[in-house]
Amino acid sequence: MGEFNIILMADDDADDRFLVQAAFEDNDIHHEMMFFEDGEQLLDHLHTTSTEDRTRFILLDLNMPKKDGREVLRALKSDKALSKIPIIVFSTSKAPDDILSSYELGANSYVVKPSSYEHLKEVIKKISDFWLNTAVTP
Amino acid sequence: MWRRPTSIHYSMKISPATDLLKRSLSEEQLSWAIRFLFAISVFLIVILSVSYNSINQELVFYSEQVDHAHEVLDNVQDVRTRLYQVTYYGRGYLVMIDSANQSNMLESLASVPHRMDRLAELTSDNPIQQVNVDSLKASFAVYEKLVQNFGLSDPNLIDASRKLSMLKNGTSRTDNLNNILDNMVSVEQKLMQERVISRDNYKQKIFRFNWVIMGVALAFLLSSFLLLERELKRTKRYRIELENQVENLNRSNAELEQFAYVASHDLQEPLRKIRSFADLLKTKNKNTLSEESKHILGKITKSASRLQMLIDDLLAFSRSIDSSRDVEKVDLNQVLRDVQRSIQPRIEEYDAVVKSQSLPTVWGYGNQLAQLFENILANSLKYCKPGLCPTIDISVSEIQGSAIRGVRESQLEDTFHNITFTDNGIGFRKEYAEKIFVIFQRLHGQDAYQGSGIGLAICRKVVSNHNGYIMADGEEGNGARFYVYLPKNSSTA
Repeated sequence: MGEFNIILMADDDADDRFLVQAAFEDNDIHHEMMFFEDGEQLLDHLHTTSTEDRTRFILLDLNMPKKDGREVLRALKSDKALSKIPIIVFSTSKAPDDILSSYELGANSYVVKPSSYEHLKEVIKKISDFWLNTAVTP
Repeated sequence: MWRRPTSIHYSMKISPATDLLKRSLSEEQLSWAIRFLFAISVFLIVILSVSYNSINQELVFYSEQVDHAHEVLDNVQDVRTRLYQVTYYGRGYLVMIDSANQSNMLESLASVPHRMDRLAELTSDNPIQQVNVDSLKASFAVYEKLVQNFGLSDPNLIDASRKLSMLKNGTSRTDNLNNILDNMVSVEQKLMQERVISRDNYKQKIFRFNWVIMGVALAFLLSSFLLLERELKRTKRYRIELENQVENLNRSNAELEQFAYVASHDLQEPLRKIRSFADLLKTKNKNTLSEESKHILGKITKSASRLQMLIDDLLAFSRSIDSSRDVEKVDLNQVLRDVQRSIQPRIEEYDAVVKSQSLPTVWGYGNQLAQLFENILANSLKYCKPGLCPTIDISVSEIQGSAIRGVRESQLEDTFHNITFTDNGIGFRKEYAEKIFVIFQRLHGQDAYQGSGIGLAICRKVVSNHNGYIMADGEEGNGARFYVYLPKNSSTA
């Protein structure tokens, strides 16, 4: 797993970043994680470094400053080199419009942020189980 | 924050509507007033034309009468001239005893009867003149005989004294005839004068009358024109006002949608944090937290969950306001099946039975109608009688708009689907039948039944989005009934 183990997360909310990190740790999942505060930072990172080959998946918030999740989705899924990275939209919104448009833009999964920590821990475990251990990615 | 936009929303919606109602009444009266004024004007104009027509006829009649009188006078003059000629030639003949004077005299004499006949003819409508003509004729007959006798006898054989007496006799006859003719002239002239005077009187009277009528008709026309003009201006002003209101309404609706978004994101965000961190605190310090701290943390979590539910429900309510999507044909049987599937766990939990007749297909918003069905079913499940399996019966019938309480006037003639949900739950007292549809209104404490009091408010909103009505009926301890009335032939919900 050594070279193929980075999880990226873009979320403008420091608390959420903290909680997700805590949830990964509490689930005993110790992959390298990188956090970004907005879509622009995430895209800059992906464009300037070659970590895309080692990125297992991206947790992407929809509502962020500068470049929001939708723009990031559009940019990544239209970029040949980056489009293969699984993107899990991780948003507070339950609005059918947001869910639908995310899938239309090519999101691989859509997860509503759980409103309790216990639930968050469970969700993170499920996501990790699936995208790290079950799904086969290129 | 929630209350404010809704109050704007409603105040804008209601004020022009009631205003329009008030106005439509006065408009009705006004339109009748205008019709009345126009009818009177038209009536007066008809009277005017009839009157002018009769004036015309009357004046023609008067001038004919005057012409006629002139003709009579001309004829009288003619007769007088002939008689004068008879006298003139007669005297000539008497002095000169020549055949020229003799034949001229007889010729003139012979031409008189014909003219008298003409006079008789002309004055046939006037008994006084008839009498005059008769006496003229009688007097002339005597005179004619006298002149003829004189004309046929040889003047040389007549002695001087006889000549004198004949001359005297002739002169007195002529005077008599002239007197009768004078009489006729004066009668005719008097008649003519009378006619001229009465014509002038008539003219004066009728013209004054016509001027009055014309004035009144003009006044009526002018006032109805002014009324129309004012009404047009008012209508224009109201139209502009209405357009402004619609614009405001659209803006406030947009604000409301914006608000829904703000509520969904910005309000939920910190709340989720409160719950997550309280949770995290509990998990991380499971072993070190005192019982009291755990209890307090539990209270925080519980309140936060309740707030979460309120926000979720508010969002659902604001989403039910949105009617920007296109209406579509919705098969309510399909809606019911979908809803039953989505609340299957709850149905099983309560061991509930949902029975339904075949439901109609309506024009509307599928997602909203699903919300409606879900909320009504969920309501019945929630307020079931303890220890009794909930049953919900859905029946369908048709109802006339006029039979629905509080129906809008424009829908009195419409036919509605009446979808009735009957349950065997705890019911409610009749006086609460309206209250349960008001947002945040609840009949039970939070401890007895959880909820935010928004479910049935959403139902009412959804139904009114479809131009329909929802009513409730129940008895405490004896089940509740919900009547959903949806327009049958409405393609624009």
